[in-house]
Amino acid sequence: MIAPRAFLALCSAAVTAAPVAAQSMRTVATSRPVNGERLVRATVDFGAGVVHVGASSGTDLYRMQLRYDAERNTPVHRYDPRTGILRLGLEGNGGSGLRVTSRAQLSQRADFDFAPLVPMALEANLGASDATLDLGGMTILSLTVRGGASRSTVTFATPNRGECSRADFTLGAAEFDVTGIANAGCAEIRVEGGVGKAELSFDGTWRRDLKADVSLAMGSLTLRIPRGTGVQLVASRFLSSLDAEGFTRAGDTWTTPGFAQAKQKLTVTVNASAAGVTVTWLP
Amino acid sequence: MRAGNRLPALFVAALLLQAGPLHAASTPSIAIEELSYRARSVLPAFFFLGASVTPQAVPVSAPQGPTVNPAQFDNATTLEHDLRAALRSPLSDTRLTVTGGTARLGDYSVGSAERITGHVVVLKGNADIHGRIDGNVVALDGDVVLHPGAVITGDVLSIGGHIRQLGGLISGSQMEVDAAPTEATISIPSQVAQRGAGLLGIGLTLIILGLGVVTFGRPNLEIVSDTVVHSFGRAFLVGLLGQVLILPTFGMLIVGLVLTIAGTVLVPFAAVVYVLIAIIALVGGLLAVAHAMGETITRRRMAQGIMMSPNAYRYVITGLASLAMIWLAWVGFGWVPVAGAFVFAGAVLLTWSVATVGFGAALLSRGGMREHFAGRILPPELMTDEYLWATPQFGVPAVKRPPKDVK
Repeated sequence: MIAPRAFLALCSAAVTAAPVAAQSMRTVATSRPVNGERLVRATVDFGAGVVHVGASSGTDLYRMQLRYDAERNTPVHRYDPRTGILRLGLEGNGGSGLRVTSRAQLSQRADFDFAPLVPMALEANLGASDATLDLGGMTILSLTVRGGASRSTVTFATPNRGECSRADFTLGAAEFDVTGIANAGCAEIRVEGGVGKAELSFDGTWRRDLKADVSLAMGSLTLRIPRGTGVQLVASRFLSSLDAEGFTRAGDTWTTPGFAQAKQKLTVTVNASAAGVTVTWLP
Repeated sequence: MRAGNRLPALFVAALLLQAGPLHAASTPSIAIEELSYRARSVLPAFFFLGASVTPQAVPVSAPQGPTVNPAQFDNATTLEHDLRAALRSPLSDTRLTVTGGTARLGDYSVGSAERITGHVVVLKGNADIHGRIDGNVVALDGDVVLHPGAVITGDVLSIGGHIRQLGGLISGSQMEVDAAPTEATISIPSQVAQRGAGLLGIGLTLIILGLGVVTFGRPNLEIVSDTVVHSFGRAFLVGLLGQVLILPTFGMLIVGLVLTIAGTVLVPFAAVVYVLIAIIALVGGLLAVAHAMGETITRRRMAQGIMMSPNAYRYVITGLASLAMIWLAWVGFGWVPVAGAFVFAGAVLLTWSVATVGFGAALLSRGGMREHFAGRILPPELMTDEYLWATPQFGVPAVKRPPKDVK
């Protein structure tokens, strides 16, 4: 009677064996009140999922709400009131860097809100996130956005309260859309893209002349510029097309008529290989 | 009046008496929240629900015992882990050292006239703060409730609860972390079913790929398969070397293209093609090994007198089924502690070995186009069943024999 015994042993082992842990999503919410901060250097890390960055109510210096895959990520919340260095978001368990390893990570969600009146140098590392940054009305002094295979939308719906010195956007294989660049008022804008689609809208309230430096390896670049803006476009192209209506060409430089006398000037340097560059005019 | 009819009245009375009058300065929403909070705190006791933890101070642990430092909440999940690890059953046996503070078990209240210096950790209960705490407050499986007039100069963390600010002031940050989920479990039968479905899916995919390769690339598959059989060791070594060199080769390819300037534009295409070729070599090699295994098995069975049609389709399916056997063992017994891990490791090792041999054979035979290592001494046109099985004709050719009727 070996077979029945073996069967019983198997059944008893099946009943008593340790259960297997399943994957789990967790939530974290954190905030801190404004306490006379003069400058915050905020870094947001979020590898995968849906992320929103925007302005908080005036009383919160920052507010973070996370839903994350606890098996693979750990929430990060570090703030040093003395230096104003703030780090929020997620970091991978057991190693540096962030990587997408499961479908559950894509259902992660994060909301980061920052005090609109506190001057802020913001850096966002978005990995493979579907990101929306509503930065209108905030006090941005500098902005850095890095993305891998992400879809990012950066919007300045209302003028920036701060004097933004620089905005850097570094993207891999991404779809990237920035609107209200004039509202941001950053003196220098640099976009470095790998493969993808980038759209830059220089709409909003102009406070100064703007300068943009765009590099794109492969894909399409659309520049939307308000009509009446004096534009000088210096394009270094390789196997790339440039569709710029209303410009006068001199070598690698395209200039709109009356550039020197224009009230608001935009200088764009485009370095593109295997890319299509299009300039469209906003009414 | 029946006893049941007195319950609502008793409940309201308890609610009103529970924590004194609502604060006069409270806004309506805060007043409602406070009322709600009081109701929730009264309900369990009123209906004798749940065994509440007896409030008590947690003694300091032995020198090597559990210790937490709630000075910073950089990693709240680690702090939660440490706190849960410190809990004992019964809870009164819990010992915990809090660096720069104290620990409490069960509900804990700080009176309006009290001032506490140092961190406060409350386990399995709510922290009701009416007074002042110069430090951080942590509640595990409980709420931190700030009443009007309360002041916390540090940070507040609630794990498995909420921070309810009915008034008062928190100078530092607030953090709420939901409790670590009780481990959701997957029963063994459903685990076996899930793994079985996964194996079936992968098996069917490989079978479909294999049938496609047999249909459209049979000569190449057979050459790779023969290379596996006749140059097994060489194929394994080449496959191993190929795995080591696959990334450096890719890097050299990309760098080379970039250096040629004009080739830069080809980099994305070259990258995609390279990856595709690598995948095809790996999967094709695996299928070729399956083909070789299937052919060997089929011929052995035929030698035993079992009649079956020896064709490449059968070879591939038989070989893949053989490869699936060890994974089937993992599906069935992977849940067994320790042994399951060994079975899994064995399955991974075997599959890797097979894939390495196949990959090497694919490289050796240039994707089934070079027969040098396939053991084919004779040209393919002579590799017929007649040659293999018919009796060789020696001596005088039949056509030259004299006719029988000629005497």
